[in-house]
Order: sequence, then structure tokens, then C-alpha cells
Amino acid sequence: MKFFLGVAAILLLGTGTAQAAKMSVDEIVDKANHVSYFQGEDGRASVRMVITDAQGRKRSREFTILRKDVDPDGADEGEQKFYVYFSRPADVDKTAFLVWKHVGADDDRWLYLPALDLVKRIAASDERTSFVGSHYFYEDVSGRNPEEDHHELLEETDDYYILKSVPVDPGSVEFSWYKNYIHKATFIPVKTEFFDAKGRKYRENSVEKVETIDGFPTVMQSRMKDLRSGGETVQTFLDVTYNVGLPDVFTERYLRNPPRRYLK
Amino acid sequence: MQILSEAAVRRPKAAMILAALVSVFFVVGVAAPSLWPDRVSFLPALKVDTDPENMLSPHEPVRVFHNDRKAEYGLNDIIVVGVIDKNHESGVFNPKTLAHVYELTEYAKGIEGVIERDIIAPSTVDNIEQAGLGTVSFEWLMKTPPDTEEAAQAVSDKAGHIPFLNNTLVSDDGKSLALYVPIVSKDISYRVSQSLREKIATFDGEETYHITGLPVAQDTFGVEMFIQMAVSAPMAMVLIFLLMWLFFQKVSLVVSPMIVAMVSVIITMGALVMTGNTVHIMSSMIPVFIMPIAVLDAVHILSDFFDRYPAFKDRRKTLEHVMGELSKPMLFTTLTTAAGFGSLAFTPIPPVQVFGIFIALGVVLAWFLTITLIPAYIMLMREDKFGDFGLEHSPVNCGRFLACLGPFTYAHAKLILAGVLVLIGVAAYGISKIQINDNPVKWFTESHDIRVADRELNERFAGTYMAYLELSPKEPAAVHVDKTLREGLEEMNTPAAKEALAQWNESGGDFDALREYVYGRSDNAGSDSEWEAWDNISILIDDANAAGEIFKDPELLRALSDVQDYLVGTGRVGKINALPDIVKTVHRELFLGEEEAFRIPDTRAAVAQTLITYQNSHRPDDLWHFTTPAYDKTVLWLQLKSGDNKDMNEVVADVEAYFATHDMPIALDHNWFGLTYINTVWQAKMVSGMVSAFLGSFAIVLAMMAVLFRSILWGALCMIPLTVTIAFIYGIIGLVGKDYDMPVAVLSSLSLGLAVDYAIHFLARSREMAANYPSWKETIGPVFGEPARAITRNVIVIGVGFLPLLAAPLVPYKTVGFFISAILLFAGIASLLILPATIKLLEKYLFKKKGETS
Repeated sequence: MKFFLGVAAILLLGTGTAQAAKMSVDEIVDKANHVSYFQGEDGRASVRMVITDAQGRKRSREFTILRKDVDPDGADEGEQKFYVYFSRPADVDKTAFLVWKHVGADDDRWLYLPALDLVKRIAASDERTSFVGSHYFYEDVSGRNPEEDHHELLEETDDYYILKSVPVDPGSVEFSWYKNYIHKATFIPVKTEFFDAKGRKYRENSVEKVETIDGFPTVMQSRMKDLRSGGETVQTFLDVTYNVGLPDVFTERYLRNPPRRYLK
Repeated sequence: MQILSEAAVRRPKAAMILAALVSVFFVVGVAAPSLWPDRVSFLPALKVDTDPENMLSPHEPVRVFHNDRKAEYGLNDIIVVGVIDKNHESGVFNPKTLAHVYELTEYAKGIEGVIERDIIAPSTVDNIEQAGLGTVSFEWLMKTPPDTEEAAQAVSDKAGHIPFLNNTLVSDDGKSLALYVPIVSKDISYRVSQSLREKIATFDGEETYHITGLPVAQDTFGVEMFIQMAVSAPMAMVLIFLLMWLFFQKVSLVVSPMIVAMVSVIITMGALVMTGNTVHIMSSMIPVFIMPIAVLDAVHILSDFFDRYPAFKDRRKTLEHVMGELSKPMLFTTLTTAAGFGSLAFTPIPPVQVFGIFIALGVVLAWFLTITLIPAYIMLMREDKFGDFGLEHSPVNCGRFLACLGPFTYAHAKLILAGVLVLIGVAAYGISKIQINDNPVKWFTESHDIRVADRELNERFAGTYMAYLELSPKEPAAVHVDKTLREGLEEMNTPAAKEALAQWNESGGDFDALREYVYGRSDNAGSDSEWEAWDNISILIDDANAAGEIFKDPELLRALSDVQDYLVGTGRVGKINALPDIVKTVHRELFLGEEEAFRIPDTRAAVAQTLITYQNSHRPDDLWHFTTPAYDKTVLWLQLKSGDNKDMNEVVADVEAYFATHDMPIALDHNWFGLTYINTVWQAKMVSGMVSAFLGSFAIVLAMMAVLFRSILWGALCMIPLTVTIAFIYGIIGLVGKDYDMPVAVLSSLSLGLAVDYAIHFLARSREMAANYPSWKETIGPVFGEPARAITRNVIVIGVGFLPLLAAPLVPYKTVGFFISAILLFAGIASLLILPATIKLLEKYLFKKKGETS
């Protein structure tokens, strides 16, 4: 779920010609990571998720995401907080997730289930589990730390940098490596393909719609396919705004008392 | 008929060459498309099908439902791999064994046809548990093999705490493991299991691995069946050959029935394959059934020829005499046998129909070959070879015994019949005890790997046999959805609501289409009020959707849980995995893992939120093995320790009884699927089909006999030995507690076909001979000469000849071998005892037209 893809397009266009030829792999990766998760000081978006299985049966989820960088001015891009607030289906209305994303440490995650009046911390273990039954993982929502993989530039085309990324700790993830197609102009990873130990592609995310919002090229629709089961999840972003000026609503207290102002 | 024999006698070489050519044609016809599939694509290749499911037509409603639901719930056929270590203190939960298990799982993931994402193994399932105060953890049960004994033990403890895994993945005592490897189709299960075995062979641990499950059993049966066809049938042939050699002294002579049997089998099986029929479990037994029948007539001819030759000293004249005596009874025995098997064409089971039709064809063919090839063969032998023929030269001629038996039947006719009546009474009691039952796993002998695995695993786990019970509302969920939506839209009565209603009607109630439509309208709304109108409809769609999601209802889930408790409580079900267990388990772990929280929460939203929590795991889609994303149906997974049809039937009856006496919160329909259940359905069809096929062919044979003897009384008399034989055979089956299964069922046709043969020969010859003597008393001597000897030789040759089947590792072959021998023995005894005794008592009715018949 590479949303909040904010890129200073103008900035990019201005410097693009100078940068394009000489970028190192790490620079490409950092830039892609930046545009995927760290543009603007904060942001909000309404998300509609449609999960379709191999039989064509559909389920939908609707939620709002709030995101805020812990230290917006800092050079260290990593510490972030997310608030995910569900509105539909009706029976999960007001269910909420809170994520504190850390660099070099496991993320903190909390879950609020209103019908059980229960706030639970989710143990810091595996982040590659399904996000509410969709084909996206938690890690797709909050972003995978570039430090966790070794990156290699496979190919450079007119439009894309094609990167191969291999996990530093292969035991921690289910993939063997993944391949990213990073758009040269925007640094949006428009396609990501995951491969298993036998070299079979089993998972693929593709960006289907990009719009420029508040000056940031922003992913408005993406599709994650599970090639093993034949299912897929399409997420559509609505009402994306940047630099909202969010107060600190990213605490357990706000799970029970959602900051409605920012959720509508 | 004699014309055919005469033609063969005139041109014996041509007859033999023709038979050889036809055989070669069929051998090539069968082999060619398999060996060179490209060049001979016009011929169907040999197809093997060992799937008992195919005992039902593909259009059979229960099968259609089974396949439909398997696809809908993503339930696949499963290979069960048990891992047991009886010596290690903590069983298989030690670092070394778990490392093997991990390696095996990784290996299984790579086998072609294995559905990787659905494998149930320690490294592929999630554990949800408390991880400290206020914290819940979702993680792989065994992400990597543990390093320490404690960590290994923890895997067992964790799995034991999760109802879905306890007694399924880990045994009740926490010492053994079972892996469940789903495969894309049953017919690859032998290959997959062999591949797993190869991997297992590389492990050097103390633990043992057991592979079982219905698909493996069925597919393995197919493989071993072919080995059996290649071993048992020739072994029977060799023994029959040796016995005939003993009786008839001449190797060259007794080769002829072998030729007849071989050619009959080759042509029949060739025709079966070349007409595109699959070789099914049933049709694989065709050779075994055709052989005795093919040899039977030949033995009659040889027996008669052997005894008569000294009188004529000329093979052609002897043959003329022999064929004159035998051609009529042989034709009739052939027709009755063909009728017996042909009647199977009227059973509702396709493979049994094919079996019956081709045996009937084979029998007629064997007759044709017998009356042509045997005389032709004899004509090709040199005359001087027959010099030492005749009764006095036979080392085993039973002459003295038979010479005594005849008068005995005359002297003690009433005693014999009284004895028969007593035995029939015993047989009737036995028949009343017959257990109708089958289980493909039990087609293997007790010591077979699959049987051992079946025992070991079902001793330790909830059961390796899966049956699925689907529950769905009597009034479809779609009705509730439609109602809620319509009422809501009508109540709104806004332009947007009217538009949405029109869209709903136009799309024919396509929910997803309506949702897309409404999203589109609200996303592109021109004003806030318009957006609000569409958003309200969007909320209504949600409510309507919820109205259809009946299996999120806590009350209904509790009722389901009660059904589960009841069924497990009967003791016939090892365990049930179902939606309520998932909800309860997650709920418990959300509430500090306390046992009192192991329950269904009180509101619908609480259930929904529990379920969405569950979906944050590595395997969110596991939920859809138990319900649909619309929550409008649910399925209970039953694990049974026994795959016996009778046990499954009891469970079915239990469920019927429960739903008949318990009210559900809403009216539910219940429907079964799964292999264990399917097997019971075709069995029921087979039993009723066999009974009617048997009764039908009994009537036909009776009519044929009445025509043959031009007398209803003689016809009825002819039916006595077979009736008694069948009563005895099935009486024994009931008394010894042998299940009435597929092979036993088809034996009724074989009994009918074989037992009537002896009676026809005996009666036809008796009637003929009686014309030359003043009364039955004088006739008995000659009747117990050559005719009785032919029957006795037949009984011995074929009866003993089939005993090698008892050594087969496949139970259906054993069963058939034993019962063919028993049928022949009983039919022979019945013919030689009951018939003469009855004739004596009914003499004045049977021979009243005596004098006119000559």
C-alpha cells in the first residue's frame, strides 16, 4: 500500500536531468521510499478497498488513514505514526489501528475493537501478515525499511529503474527477493513483483492511477494480486490531502475516542 | 452350434491362425495408442481410473454438489502425513525431528500439484496467543525449526491450545504430528506420496512417517491393481493348467483351454480399452472373472473327450459325439452366465454397467472360442497322442467316490433335502446379519503401509477421514438482502433512491454492480446534498449486505456450536472444525487467553470484529474454508476415525435426528459432501442396484431354463443349486462378519452365472440319459459317471485354481478369489447332491412324459 506518494514534482523536474544518469542504487531506493511514505508533514486519505477472491467474490472495506511524521524536519526518515479508522462494513465501524513505525526496531501496533470495548497491543513480530483480510500486508501499509534489503539495479530503461531487492535476513520474510519498477520521473514504484525461493513470481502490486495533489504526484489506485490463490485487492484513494496540520491523535486514548474532525 | 465346431474341425489351422491374428490385433490396438500416442491418436489410450467417486455418474446430484462446494470453500483432497516417534520422551517434538518436519514441509511446497498456501504444518499455520499483558500475538507456529528441547515442546503446547490444531496437527497426547498436504486432484496423490516418501527416506531420525488418506488409498490401489492383474491372473492360470494336466495327462491337450482363456481375456480387455472405456477398479477384475468361465466349458469338452476317446479311437468321431452331447448345455450355460452379468447393465452405477456388459461379451466370446478352438486344437494333435486316454489312465478320476455318491443321493434323498433346509435356515440367519459396508482404505491388507498408517494415525488424532456438512438457510440470504434493500430504498424515496432501485432491478440483483454504481455516483456528486443522498444509499447497501450475513449472528453460531458438541458427544466423530471455533479462539486470546472467554461474543458486531482480527493473520483466507465471504452459508469439517460407510451412515443419521428434534434460530438446510460421504451414496445405490439386477437376471435365467427344458418344473429345478449356493455364500459372509462391499456385491452375478452351469449340465445330461433307462434309479449310475466327473473336475480345477488370489495384497482380489472357489465348491456339491435327491422325490412329475422324449 504505497500511498501518500508525495513527490515534489516541480523540484524533480528542475533537477531531473542532472540526477537521472548518475544516481546510485541507494539514492534511488531512498528517493522511492521518500516519495512513497514521507512527503508532506502529514496526510490523510479515505481508502476504499475491494477484495476479490479467485471465485470473483467481493468484500469491501472503507477506512480513513491519518499519517504524521514524528520529526518532519529531521533527516532521518523513519519514525512515523499511522491511525487507521474503519467505517465499513457497518459491523466493524469505529474499529481502529494505531501504528508507530520505528527505524531499526519493531513497530508498535495497537488494535481497538469497539464492540468488545477492547484495546489490544499487537505483539511486535511479523509484519507480513494480512491487513484486515486483504492481499496487502501490514508492511505494505506502513512501508518496508530500505535497510532490510540489499538492493541492486538490474536495468535502467527510458522510464524506469528496475531494482532487485534481496532480504538481509531471509528467515524474516516469505519472499526470496522482489523486483521494483521505479518510475524515473516521479520515483513512484509502479510495479513490485515478489518471487519465492523457486524463482516463481507469486505476488504483484501495480499502481493504476496517479494524480498530482497539493503538488505531490499521488497514487490514487493500486492493485495487489496474489498469483497463488488468484485473488486480488484493489484500493482506491479518495480525498487525499497533505499537510493537514494533524495534532497528536496517535495515542491509545484516541483509539477509544476517535478524532472525528480529521476522519470525515 | 455344431456347425461352428464342424467348421473348425474341418479347417483347424485356419481357426487357430484367425484367433491368433485377432488377438494380435487387440494387443496392438491397446498398446499402440499408449506407446505412440502421436501416431495412433485415432485410438483411445489406456485410461485407468481408480476413483470410487466415479461409481457415480458425473451428473449425479450428490457429486455435482460435492464438486461445487469443494470449489466454493476451496477444500481440496488431502494427503495426510503422520509423524510418530514412540521412543522419544516428547515424541516428535524434539529439535531434530522438527527440523525434518520443517524440511519435509518445504519440500512438499515444491511438489507439482501441491497447494502450497493450504498446507497444514507447524511452519505454515498461525498461532494466535497472549504475548504479555494487553498484547496479542499472531505469528507462525514454528517459523523455523527450534534449537532447544524446550522450544520444541513449546510448539506442541501452543498447537495443543488452539482448537483448530489440537488433535488435527498435533495429537491429543502432544507427542505426534500430522501434516495435511492438499493437492489439486486426487489422481496425483500416488505420485505426490511417492515423492514425499523419497524425501522421507533421506532422514536419519528415529521417527516414523505414515502416509494415508482416502485419495492416497484410492490412487495407490490403482497402481497396485495393475501389479495384481499381472501377478494374480497368471498365477491362477498356471495352477489351473497344472490341475488340468493332472487330470488329462497331456500338456499339449490342456494348453488348449489356456489359449481359449487368454484369447478371451485379450479380446475382451482389448475391446474395453479400444472402445474408450476406462479400466476401473471393477473392470480390472474382468480377466479374473472371465478366466474361470472360459475354462469351464473347455473342461467339460476335454473331460468328455478324455473319457470317450477309447470308445471311438478316432478324434473326429469322438469330437462329434462330445459336441453333440455338450453343445446345447454349453450354449445355455453361456447364455445364462451372459444374462447374469448382462443384467448389471441395468444397475445405476456406470463402472458396474461396463463390468457387466464386457463380462457378458467375454463369456459369449469364450463360448465361441471353446466350441471352435478346442476341437480345432484337438484336430491338430496327432492321433497317436490320445492312445492312453480314458478313465483307467487318469490318476485322479474320483470314479469310486462318484459311484458311491450317486446311490447315496438316491438312498438318502430326504435326509439330504432336510440337511439343505437346515443349512438354508442357518444361511438365512447369516444373511440377516450382513453388514453393508465398504472403505477404500480397507481394500489393502492389514499389513499394508496404508492400513498401518490408517491405524497409527487414527489412534492418535481426531481422524484422517473428512466429511463436510454444509448448513444454509432454508430461505436464501439473497431474499433478506433484497428485502432490506427494497424497503430501505422505498422508504428513502429520494431521486437517488429511485435511481438505485431501478439499477438494482435492471442488474437482476447484482450486489457488487449496485455498490460500484453507488460509489461512482457518490464520488462524482455535484453537491453535498447529492453526495449525502448517495452516501445514505451506500450505508443502506451495507445494512442489506449485513442482513444476508446470517452466520455472523451470535445466536446462530452458538446453535452451531451445540450441533458440534452433540456430534462429538456421540463418539462417532473425532472432531469438528467450524466457524464457531475460530470466533471462540480469537475471542479467548483477545481476552487474556482465559478459558471463560472461550465463547461466542454477544453481539453481531463483536463477532464481526473478532473475525476481522482473525483476518490479520498470515492465512486470512482460511476463514473461507468454513464460510463464504457473504457469510450466507457455513460448513462443518468433520474428522472421522473410520472411513467405513456404516460409520459415516450413523453420523448422517445422528445429524438427521438432531435437526429433526432441535429448532435452530433460523430454519437451516443441511447437506453433506466429502469423499467419505460420497462413498456411502454409491454404496447405497450399488446395494439396491445389485438386488434388482440379481432378481431380474434370476427371472431371466429361470425363463431360459424353462425354455431349454421345455418345462417350468425342470427350469425351477435348475435354479435350486444356484439359489442354495447364493444363500450359503451370503450366509457365510453374514456369519463371519465380512462386510458386504463392492466385490462381494458383484459376486452375486458370478454365482448366478457359474452355479447354474453345473445344474444345466447335470440336468441336461440326466434327462438325456434317463430316456435310455426305465427309471431314475437306473439312470443314476451313468449320470454319476462322465457327467458328474466333468462337474467334479471343473470344481477342482477352477476352485483350486483361484486360490492364489488369496495371496494378493489387495483385499478385493482376496475376496473374489475366496468366493469364486467357494461358489464353485458349493455349486458343485449342490448340483451333485440336491439335484439327484430332488429328482428322486419328484421323479413321477419330472419324467411323466417318459418315452416320448427319445
